[in-house]
Amino acid sequence: MLTAMPRFPRLLAMATFVAPLLVVLLLWELLIRAFNVDPRVFPDVESVARAGFETLQDGSLARHVGASLVRVAVGTVLAIVVSIPLGVAMGLSPAVSSFLTPLFRFFSVLAGIAWIPIATLWFGYGFGAITFVIFNAVFFVVTYNTLLGVASIPLPLRHAAASLGAGGWTMLTQVLLPGALPNIVTGVRTGLGFAWRGLIAAEMIATNVGLGYMLFLARDFYRTEVIVFGMIVIGILWLLIDRLLLAPLERATIERWGMVHRA
Amino acid sequence: MKPLLIAWTLYARWTARFPAVRAIVPFIPVVALWAIVAESGMFPRVFFPGPLEVVRSFGTLMYKGILPDYLEDSVVRLAVGAAAGMALGIPLGVLVGLNERARAMLWPILLFFQAIGDIAWLPILLIWFGFSLTTMTIVIVYTVLFPVVLNTALGVRRVPLELHRAARSLGASRARVVWEVVLPGALPNIMTGLRNGLGYGWRALIAAEIIVGTSGIGFLMFDARRAGSVVEILLGMIVLGVLWYIVDSWVLAPIERATGQRWGLVTQ
Repeated sequence: MLTAMPRFPRLLAMATFVAPLLVVLLLWELLIRAFNVDPRVFPDVESVARAGFETLQDGSLARHVGASLVRVAVGTVLAIVVSIPLGVAMGLSPAVSSFLTPLFRFFSVLAGIAWIPIATLWFGYGFGAITFVIFNAVFFVVTYNTLLGVASIPLPLRHAAASLGAGGWTMLTQVLLPGALPNIVTGVRTGLGFAWRGLIAAEMIATNVGLGYMLFLARDFYRTEVIVFGMIVIGILWLLIDRLLLAPLERATIERWGMVHRA
Repeated sequence: MKPLLIAWTLYARWTARFPAVRAIVPFIPVVALWAIVAESGMFPRVFFPGPLEVVRSFGTLMYKGILPDYLEDSVVRLAVGAAAGMALGIPLGVLVGLNERARAMLWPILLFFQAIGDIAWLPILLIWFGFSLTTMTIVIVYTVLFPVVLNTALGVRRVPLELHRAARSLGASRARVVWEVVLPGALPNIMTGLRNGLGYGWRALIAAEIIVGTSGIGFLMFDARRAGSVVEILLGMIVLGVLWYIVDSWVLAPIERATGQRWGLVTQ
């Protein structure tokens, strides 16, 4: 049985997604007014909007967001480029992959924030240390997942491809990568989750530009409206990255190639 | 080639007999490599100490009693935070999973607040509660809460409707359906949520300890960084890794496996 299709299904979905958030906004404003909250404890909606507008106008928001996104992009791309080939190479032999699994588990557990102290010591405060933290958050998780993904491809599949005459390159592009792809994409999503948190933490500790720094600087002056605005920006940015980039990618690969994995 | 093969055969035989060997032996070459690089003087010794120095500093800090104290602080914070997060998260997840209206209302809010992320709350929490234990506990509860809620809701929704109806028609009350059908059915997902939540939670703890800075392993590491003592930073990282490895493979993984085996059938 089909229910009547709305005329603009995407619009409707968006409206039902946004409506509860508007309710929260309303509640926030009402609570602030009802209890007459000190703006140094929690700001009202209007002053947050004004703070947002100010940072937009003087360009500081663009500068902080830009710096944060560049760090994430550089660290993530570097990590992915290195870790996928490495993971595939290590996953090829069952013996090697079972030997290396505990090692990578150990390091993927440590990935991210725990490296901040030593990264700042090795690279000094700034771009190097933060990018390193992001790099290793993504690197270990993606390598570990790629290794698991390649190792979990049933050997009969690889033997079948080989006996049908698949050479190294065909094997890699037709069997190994597609088979490991669902794991790789899951790894990228988890790794970026760690990296994003690591970024915010590292920026609070070790730099003079970026979203985390913006929040922590505002704390020094008790400017709660800037803090709350920054938190909203962080939330929206991550929602956009996760929902528009990572989740569709994960869904697509699992639908397209998940069969191999489950077989 | 031949000695390598013999070594490998021996290794395979031993891991078959004692699975614990598999978790330890792979670290031997890494530590050896680390020692060689440190000894070779490729990097200044101050920035890149060898494994022996780390072991020695482990001994000193154990002897002084600093390490056990800090370790206890960190573990207790994480445990309290995780327990509170679960106590809040599981009922909320069941509600969101069972009630369509609650789901439509809460789902976007949950996603948004999860996206803000624990660490972004630190500055404002510091204004509210100062550099205190409350701040750290709230951060951890916040981190653990969302993965648990979202995964519980997912698990609850995966329990087939027929099972609800069957239990109801056999005379079970709504509360009993929740207790004996929905919760066991969602248990594997709840465990996954807990595992993710703890994974994020202890990262948040490290960040909170670095920034709030009163005690704990994160504080130990950052304090060492301030003093320029790489040895203690490395020690802190190793302690964290080992600790999590133990929690993950001896506590969480067995529970997950047990729930999966015991109740996993329900969700398929």
